[in-house]
Amino acid sequence: MKNIFFWVLVCFAFAKAYPQGPPITSDKPIMLGGNSFTTKTLTEIRNTERGTAVYIPLMLHYLPTSNSLVAVHLPYISYDFDDTSGSGMADIKILGKYQFYRKDGTGKTFRVVAKTLQTLPTGEEIDVADFSTGNYSGYYGIVSGYETLKYGLSSEIGYNWMPDGTLDEFRVKAGVGLPLLKPQYPNKQLNLYFEYTSVWLHERDWYQLFYSQGVQYALKNITFDLAVQLPLVQDNIPENRTYNYSVFLGTRYTF
Amino acid sequence: MKRIIIMTMILSLFAVTGTQAQKNGKQMDAFEVQVDGLGCPFCAYGLEKKFKEFKGIKKVAINIETGDFSFLYPTEKALTMDAVVEQVKKAGYTPNIAKITRADGTVENSEADAVTQITGETILSEAAITVAGKCGMCEARILKATSGIVGITEAAWNKDSQLLDVRFDEQQTSIDAIQKVVAEAGHDTNAYKTSEAGYADLPGCCKYVRIEQ
Repeated sequence: MKNIFFWVLVCFAFAKAYPQGPPITSDKPIMLGGNSFTTKTLTEIRNTERGTAVYIPLMLHYLPTSNSLVAVHLPYISYDFDDTSGSGMADIKILGKYQFYRKDGTGKTFRVVAKTLQTLPTGEEIDVADFSTGNYSGYYGIVSGYETLKYGLSSEIGYNWMPDGTLDEFRVKAGVGLPLLKPQYPNKQLNLYFEYTSVWLHERDWYQLFYSQGVQYALKNITFDLAVQLPLVQDNIPENRTYNYSVFLGTRYTF
Repeated sequence: MKRIIIMTMILSLFAVTGTQAQKNGKQMDAFEVQVDGLGCPFCAYGLEKKFKEFKGIKKVAINIETGDFSFLYPTEKALTMDAVVEQVKKAGYTPNIAKITRADGTVENSEADAVTQITGETILSEAAITVAGKCGMCEARILKATSGIVGITEAAWNKDSQLLDVRFDEQQTSIDAIQKVVAEAGHDTNAYKTSEAGYADLPGCCKYVRIEQ
């Protein structure tokens, strides 16, 4: 743990103040122009004491206007747990975002969006939060972001409601992005991300705090993401369900 | 036969060159817009992508530090100032000052934040005011501040000379008032110094050498 904090401090100390791209594990409130599409994938390899799951979503985002977004996430999952294993379609998700506040300045912007993520019960009932629960759930949250030429800050707070399950959850996310390359357009960026996710499943009284260290390379309209997420706090989690790590691999292409 | 082939080749060459010249000779209007909200290169991409909807757009350039966005567009399509401003808004950003230089030399400026009424009897004064700054972002900030002053008709700041050249109506504003507004925006002048908090708020690239008073 000491090592993690040390490297975080080192990265902060040496990172230069340049602009950056979208966060990796957090969400962002900035939308890239109306009437455009983005295809994304953010594969997560999640290892817990129960086993390993590989989650591969194909995400198609469409912006009807400059302040609204609709998206569909079609995920594939492969899992190998102590009690079961298999692969197939995970829970399909429908995303909607609406930007209701925007304050722009020269080289900076602050935006806030309302977000909903509707999870459809298309996956197996394997009780893996966010991946495959076989139950409907609806997430409602607020995402805000402040981007300047010095740094980027993002935050999210929300609640996941699952009427037929026990994965009702309070979720808080926060992230800082620091670019390593001089600002240039056409786009060429190398960015570091420091992101935190706090999850409280109140019906189970499980609490987890995660830290994610990410790096992102962006060239024109293509982005490559790599992040590793580790648990900082795990309270009341059954021993066979404790979280070890996740590795995220992603690309996104806007057209 | 040889001669015919040579003549054909020469004629073809001239024909191609002529077509190319016609293409190159296509008259283009030059557009410049200062855009707020470009907090990252991806934002600039979003802006450019939206303007690609204007078929025939050429030489798109975006300076993300200053928000300066420029492009050329065929004169025959008569793109208006309103259409440009509206397109920036549709891209999700805030347009500030905009300028169109038409192919025939006519210049159109968007409405500044403040509207200066000029009549035939107005006598415009000119002044060069020392304003401290360091980069393109400073220039954008200084010009944005002056665009909000009623009475100023033209303003230009030079990074090397550190001078803000203004044309203004003395009945509506004064050199002292201009200096005060610019200092409040974060840039020292000979008459007014920006507050410590205002200077501290400037991005790293804008930390100029302060004017001692």
